[in-house]
Parts: sequence; C-alpha cells; structure tokens
Amino acid sequence: MSQKPETLYTTLEKEALICARCGYCRTDCPIYKVIGWESASPRGKVSFSREIFAHKQRRDIPEEFVRRLAQCTLCGSCAVACSTTIDLRRLWLDLRQRLAEAGQEPQAYVNLRDTLAAHKNITNFSNDERLEWAQDLDDPESIEPRSGADVCYFVGCVSSFFPQAAEVPLATAQILHEAECDFTTMGGEEWCCGFPLLGAGYADEARKFIRHNVEKIKAMDIHTLIASCPSCYHVWKHDSREVLKGYDLKIQHTTEYLAQLIKEGKIQLNELDEVITYHDPCDLGRNSGIYEAPRAIINSIPGVKFVEMAHNKDYALCCGGGGNLQSVDPENAARIAALRVEEIQATGASIVVSACQQCEQMLTAAIRKENLPIRVLDISQLILEAL
Amino acid sequence: MKTEIVKEILDQYGEQATDSPFERSFYSRDLAPVPELLVGPLFKTLPDIVVRPANTEEVSDILKTAWKYTIPVTPRAGGSTVYFNTVPLHKGILMDLNLLKGVVAVDEAAMTVTVKPATTWIELERYLSGKGLAPKSFPSSTPVATIGGWFSMLGYGIGSLKYGSLLSQVRSIEVVTPEGKARRLTRDTQPSLEWFAAAEGTLGIVTELEVEIRHQTQLKHYLLQCSDPLEMRDKMQAVIKGAEVPFNLHFTDQECLQGMKTLGIAPGGLDHGYLLAVDYEGSDQELEQAEKIIQTITEKNQSVRLLPVETAELEWEEKFKAMRLKRGGPSLLGAEIWLPIKNLPQYLADVRKMSQSYNFKLFSYGHVVTPDYATVMTTFNADEMHTIRYIINLSLVKKLHDIGYRYGGSPYGVGLWNAPMIGRIHQPSELKRLKKIKRDLDGKGTMNPGKVYRAPFILNPLNYALAMDMLAGIRKVFGRGW
Repeated sequence: MSQKPETLYTTLEKEALICARCGYCRTDCPIYKVIGWESASPRGKVSFSREIFAHKQRRDIPEEFVRRLAQCTLCGSCAVACSTTIDLRRLWLDLRQRLAEAGQEPQAYVNLRDTLAAHKNITNFSNDERLEWAQDLDDPESIEPRSGADVCYFVGCVSSFFPQAAEVPLATAQILHEAECDFTTMGGEEWCCGFPLLGAGYADEARKFIRHNVEKIKAMDIHTLIASCPSCYHVWKHDSREVLKGYDLKIQHTTEYLAQLIKEGKIQLNELDEVITYHDPCDLGRNSGIYEAPRAIINSIPGVKFVEMAHNKDYALCCGGGGNLQSVDPENAARIAALRVEEIQATGASIVVSACQQCEQMLTAAIRKENLPIRVLDISQLILEAL
Repeated sequence: MKTEIVKEILDQYGEQATDSPFERSFYSRDLAPVPELLVGPLFKTLPDIVVRPANTEEVSDILKTAWKYTIPVTPRAGGSTVYFNTVPLHKGILMDLNLLKGVVAVDEAAMTVTVKPATTWIELERYLSGKGLAPKSFPSSTPVATIGGWFSMLGYGIGSLKYGSLLSQVRSIEVVTPEGKARRLTRDTQPSLEWFAAAEGTLGIVTELEVEIRHQTQLKHYLLQCSDPLEMRDKMQAVIKGAEVPFNLHFTDQECLQGMKTLGIAPGGLDHGYLLAVDYEGSDQELEQAEKIIQTITEKNQSVRLLPVETAELEWEEKFKAMRLKRGGPSLLGAEIWLPIKNLPQYLADVRKMSQSYNFKLFSYGHVVTPDYATVMTTFNADEMHTIRYIINLSLVKKLHDIGYRYGGSPYGVGLWNAPMIGRIHQPSELKRLKKIKRDLDGKGTMNPGKVYRAPFILNPLNYALAMDMLAGIRKVFGRGW
C-alpha cells in the first residue's frame, strides 16, 4: 500500500503515541541484540517514554530508564525499520535532552560537557595543539589556517588528538597534496563540531560550538568544506543549516571529494591484490545517505576484489562506537563491535575499509581481541597505499 | 508465585532471569494499548518473573518447575500480536524466547530449513537469500514476527495463496510439552505437530521447526485500479483462476486509499478506486504467463487501469508498513477477519454504512490467502489519550466483527480479546476437540492460561455482547464528533 515516505517527527509526546510498538525496530537494533531485554529495545524505550511524557503516568524518570536511554548508539537502524516512519534518531536525541533538562543525565555526559566547555575539544589537551598530527607531514606549515583557500579540511577531535587516529588526517592531507589541491585547516580555531553535545542532550551548548565554527569559516572566506569524520560531516550538513543560511558553503565528506578527484584523474591508483569489504559508518551511510562514494573509490583500485557484508548500506550493523555509548557502557559497545567483526570475517576479506575513525578504532579493537588476520584501514589510508 | 520459587529461578538463571519491576513492566502489554482502567480490575498482567531460556533443556527445566508448582507460563518472542496472546493474565512466569534464535541447518536436497523459533522472518529471508533460497511464505509483519510465533498463530500471509499456510510447509517440530518433556513431532506422530499450529502457545513451547523452502526467483509486480468493490472482487477471482497463481494478492479499499492520500503515502498519489496488487514469482516462462493474465484482465475491461510498474514495485517494497495509517491516530483500532472473497463487496458495503452511521472513517485492506478466503483488516483511528472515549470506541471492533460474521467471516486469531467470539471461529464439535487436546496435554492448565478456548467469565459471550452493544449505542448517540 504505498508511496515511500521520509521519516517524520513532530514532538516526543505525539511520536511516542504514534509508535505502534510493532517491534520492527528490534531486529537490527545493536543494543537490543547484545542486551536482549525488552527494556533495551527501541519500542520498549518509546513505550516507557509514552507513559512518562504523553500519559504522564509517573513523575519520576527511573534510573533504570536513564541507563537504557544512554545505551543507544544513535545508529538510526530503528528509524529505517519503523513501521510508522518515526524519525527515531531525533526522538532519542529529544529524550536525552529531556534527561539533561531534568538533571538526570549520566555523569559521563556531564564530564564530557565540562571538558568541551574548558577545552573546546573532547580531550584534556589544549585546542591549540589541534595540528600536532601534522608534524609528520613533509611541510606541516602548509596546512596552517589560511583565508581564501579552495577547500577547508575539518579534521575533527578524534583525528586531531588521538595518536591512533592520526593516520586519517595524515593520509588525507598527503592525498590532497598529491592531487595539488589548494586546501587549509582551521587549526586551533576548529572547535568540536558539537556532535557529542547533541548526543548527550545538550543542544543549546552544541549550538554555541556550531555557531563558532560557522563564523570562523565565513571569516576565512571558505566555500568548500570537507570532513573525514562522519559525525562532524553530519553536523555540518544537517545541524548547521540554520546558522549557514545565506552563506554559500559546499559541504562534502572526504569520500565524496576524493571520489571526485579520482574520477577527474587527479589521483592515479595502482594495483592492489586484496579482498576488501566496506563498513558503512552510521552517520555517513544510514544517517547521511552516502553509500556510493566510498564504494566507487574501492572499486576504482585495480586488482581489488570488493565483497559486501551481509548487512550493508541502509541495513549495515553499527560498530558500537556511536551515541556516546563507550563513555557509559564500554562492554556493550565492544560486544556490538564483535558482532560486526563476525560479519567482516564471513566475507573472507583481508582488509576492512571504513570512513570513520571511531568505527575503525572499534573494529580494530574487536579484531585484535579475536586475533584475526584482517587489517582495518580508513579509506584515505587505502588510497595512500594504492598511490 | 511464591518468593522462594522466584528466587530459585533467579539463582539458577542469573542474568537470564529478572524480577525487577521495571523490566517486568515491559512484558505486561502487547501492541494493543488497552487502558489499565479496563485491564487492571480483570487481570494480573505483570509477570512475577521473566526468564530467557537459551536452549531446549532450559525451556524444559523451567516448564518442569512451573508444572511442579502449577505456575502459569506465558511464552513470548516477537510480542507483535494485539489480542494479549503473549500477555500474562495471571502473573506467573513470562518466558522470553528470543535467545532461541538462528538457523540450525539447510537441507538443499530436501529443500527445508531447520530454525529455532525466535528467528524472525526477515532474518530467515536474509539468510536464505545469501544461498539463492527463500521462504515459501511470510507474514505481513516479517520484520518482527518469528517463525515459531507465526506457526503458533494461523500462519497465513504473503505467499500463502501460492504455497499454502505455514502449517502445510512445516515438516517437523521440536516441542516441549507443559510438563517439560521435549518431543520431536511430525504429522504422523501422536500428538501430531498439527495440534500445535495456531494453538497460541497454550499446549507447549515449540523449540525448533523444519520448514519447506523454495529457490529464490524473480518477481513481477502489477497494480490494478478498479472502480468499485464488485469489480475488484471479480478481478481478484479472475487472477486466482489464472494459469499462474500469484505469490501475493493484496487489496486496498477506497477509504483506505483516501486515508493514505491524506498522510501523503498513497500509491501514485491516488485518492479514488480500489487497488489490487498482484505479485508473481517464478521462472521467465511463468512470469510471461502472468503478464498474459494481467493483459487479458485489463484489456477486456476499460475501467480497470493498470498503474505504472514503478508504483507497483513501490507498493511491494512497502508491503510491511500498513501501520503507517497510525500516523493519522495517534491510536489505531480494528478487526482482522477471515472472510470469504465472494462476500468481500457486501462486507465493504456494510463497513461503509457503519462508517456513515457512526460518523468516522474506516480503512480496509487485506491479503487473499487461499483461493476462497482473504484476511481482511478494517481499522480506524482513535485517541488513547481520551480513555473513556477510547474504551467506548473499542466496542466498534465488535461491530466490525459482526459485519464479518454476517458474511461468513470470523476473527483471525483468538488470544484473550477474541475469545468471547470463539463460537464464531470454531464449530462446536471442533471446539470440543480442541478443548480435549488442551486437557490431555495440559491437565494443570499452566500453559498460557485464559486464552483461546473460552473467554474468562467476565468476558463470556453474553456479557461481552451486551456490554459492547451498549457502548456502541452510546458511541452512536453521543460520539458522532469523536
């Protein structure tokens, strides 16, 4: 019976009533898969929300419910499955905002908010050290902030500060140099994109970060921005719209930009004799709709045999690393990653490629734990290997 | 349930069991948001304990404990029905079967798959698809419905018209009887596996099923727009009698189409006519044959319009999302009726009259599941936030069943809420036979008590009919603007 609809969202109270409790959301929900109790299922959480916020049958928000709400990777698989087309990802964000407003958010979220307020990034490092990773480039100064460049590379907190993720910006910068792109970064003026704050229920605080970044981009007269972190990309593409209104800024994920460079012949790729599978990051794939660019890059490498996982694209399983889950429940985050690794292993691939430093970190840890002969590479690292 | 028994189970099952009031509360309802005002005084739907067995031995062990102490056991997996089929009525043990999941074996020579009961149909479909295979049929709630759950209901849905009910495709089952004995059953054993189909978990717990499968084939989709219900019924029958049997035959009435149009989800943006979705699967030759059938039907009659193939394909893609109508709610009430196809136009005409009489919109759609019968769903929007009005509106569900009964129909599925109409579902001799089976297998009445065989006293057919008819009368007089 039908015309394919977009997901919809009105208010938490209305959507909680509209939810049919059909349970379509359960089958692919990563947290339900590893916890298994009905209270951990998306429909369970919406049902309980209905009792609290729509029916107002209880005044308190029980601690057990707070715990369950934090046990979500915001992967959005529930929204894809929803029989009543509820934008459940928005509903989870709304619920976390209600928790924060009630002062009942997990302590880990409070710590995260305080860290961000103090340092403008998710670590305890000074934000001035954002370009530390670039010391390994031939010419580190070449990426210092510069107005009027063709492209600005928004690096993101994890890639900027976590040594194990530094390979991502390094590879990206080297490829951009190789293609002779005129690009720059925001350096110490790059603040956290605001995604962790949105995910923790602090929408107002997140807006301050978004506004700062947008103002700096405008001041630098930048009109094309690329981001390698899918969550940063998602915020720029979707949550910054209002602040960007009237300013001409093309926003792309690095996979889109690099795929275009390959198509235009600005990057020449050599043969790689590998079986490769691709893990769709939730914020890039399901939540932003970018599926083809990374696949086009992989398939453009001569010699590569590309194999899809059983769950891919819209139905890709989450790595467990989203939604601030690691900060509140690292054990279940790891269990979710282990489920994804089972699928990776089933493909027989020697390399799993992704396009998100967080997914790569989760998958690397899970693969190491199982001692599997599978390499985890960011798509930029794969390109660099084929250059 | 005695505290020491709860503790005994908690000690034995550790993280697989809980008596937390918070966790247990999630198992005290199914899809139907029946107000506590109605349920609370009649039943105790909050289980004493929820246990998640991981294998047949654990199912057996829990059932032995329940049998020993005469504790009610309510099995549940997808929990996606609406008649309280998986909701406890007398507390006790809620057995969450979702750990019994996965494919045990595929036998390509015999063309069967052996699965654990809580495997969802979508999981099975995805698994088989990787091997070029497919289930012969699946429910319209495939993303959540489980193999065991659908077997325990009536098991008619998409694919049934071509391949028969799920029961007809099941070669064997493993079941744990109420006293805790695990048994492998076929059609030739005593008891037969047939006893457990549609028993709604009242005779034991199915722990494994061997089900027939088919080779994955191409599909071809058609969507016909008919001008009235009579024409739609005639085309339906012409399709059924064709040389190629459709895999799926689904209809949507004009009111439903208009409701969908309001929500922006009508196929091709249509707002008039009666839609007939005809989906074929098979070899190139079979699909060519199907094409000819559709050509013949549409060429002969100018008033039947063949809609664009893209619209038909989208209709197929969205086949599991009938609940989108709920966006017009926020609640949705309705009746699912097993109805002779020949009487569909009369049924829809009376539904239209009811709609006018009570001044509300009724949406009907359904699947043709045998050459002679369809499962027809007629729904209407309601608002559970207005509890009294909502309870009064529940009486209209019975009125819909009355229309169905008038035209040879009966409720599809029983659970608790359709139990007052059990006399319409089974002939007295058949009901007597079913009750005897229940007594023979579950003498203590521990398995899913209060469901299927007879309504609880307060809901006995006379009380139920009087109460519902009275509420419907109130609705008719005072509720025209609701």
